[in-house]
Amino acid sequence: MTTAAPSRSLSLVALFAALLAVFGLIPKIDLPFGVPITIQTLGVMLAGCLLAPRQAFQALSLFMVAVALGLPLLSGGRGGLGVFVAPSGGFLVGMLFSAVATSWVMRMLPGEGPRRLALRAFVAAVIGGIGVEYAFGIAGLVVLAKLSVWQATVASLAFVPGDLIKCVLCAMVVHTVARSVPDWRFGSRTAT
Amino acid sequence: MRSLYSDRRTWLHAVPAGIKLLVIATLGTAFFMVDRPAWLAAGAGAVALAFATLGRSVRPALRLVVSITVASALVAGFHVAAGQPEVGAVSVLRLMSASLLGVMLAVTTRFDELLDVFETLLRPFERLGFSTGRLALGLGLMLRFTEHFFVQWRRMDDAHRARTGRPGGMALLAPLTVRMLLTARRVADALAARLGG
Repeated sequence: MTTAAPSRSLSLVALFAALLAVFGLIPKIDLPFGVPITIQTLGVMLAGCLLAPRQAFQALSLFMVAVALGLPLLSGGRGGLGVFVAPSGGFLVGMLFSAVATSWVMRMLPGEGPRRLALRAFVAAVIGGIGVEYAFGIAGLVVLAKLSVWQATVASLAFVPGDLIKCVLCAMVVHTVARSVPDWRFGSRTAT
Repeated sequence: MRSLYSDRRTWLHAVPAGIKLLVIATLGTAFFMVDRPAWLAAGAGAVALAFATLGRSVRPALRLVVSITVASALVAGFHVAAGQPEVGAVSVLRLMSASLLGVMLAVTTRFDELLDVFETLLRPFERLGFSTGRLALGLGLMLRFTEHFFVQWRRMDDAHRARTGRPGGMALLAPLTVRMLLTARRVADALAARLGG
């Protein structure tokens, strides 16, 4: 780690990984119109929006290591090495790159202030949290489950509406964070 | 957090974690390289048999097994619908056997045993500036605070129910995230005071 304050960064990385785990433990949340969603992937989008790319990568890696070592931290109490080779394994590995991509986009986009930041977060979450995540997930379905690219894409599309809602939720959380923690440095090299 | 590990000891508990990982890695790779359905079926049968010998110890992981089975069934359904049942059979046998191997490891191996193996594997990278001590500290912090934030979330949810009669749902996500960020700063100060920097 090349940051000036490695133990600061470590704490943020570890606590964000903990938040990801808690998002997996929280039961499904009912949206106002009655559709239940799991929010773990929302945690991935948030990691991208709130952390620097390197930190987002580290937070997700830490989380993945804990999952691979057998802790049941994925939503539905899943964990262990088995989940990485299950049909949805691509989506799991994709979380790592999805968070980094979200963070990069967040950093690239201009605009300060809660509203602009929320807009940045929405765009970043759509690109990283949906675009990159689904690319890996679909690749995983093709490699692990031997579906054709077309079949895998059709099978995955059913989840896009739910994930779009998560992008909106992510933007709303970023909006609140920007107002409650005004000195949070979104999209900087090292968020602290 | 309910662990996947089972205290009910089986023959597989006695096998060192490193050897189990090696066997899983080898078998897992083999499953993905073999294409002949007959061989795969034999392999899957052997894995299922080994899984069955663990008896009631697999109970903590039953939900996980069910979710893997459902996912595999969906994949099979897709292949059958596409008119290629053989490809479906091959990929389901593969997915199920590889996942069951992983479940067997999780059920019979304690977290710290696996962490030891993992740290040993990473030791060569210490020369490149990777610190296994920091990894262990990071994992420890993460597990400690997973419980902490979960308790916080439950309290906020209870408070929300008491005020409104409805579960907190997504209204709690932002406050929980803000608390996490503020706690991270406090923990960072504490760590910096003890570890320096």
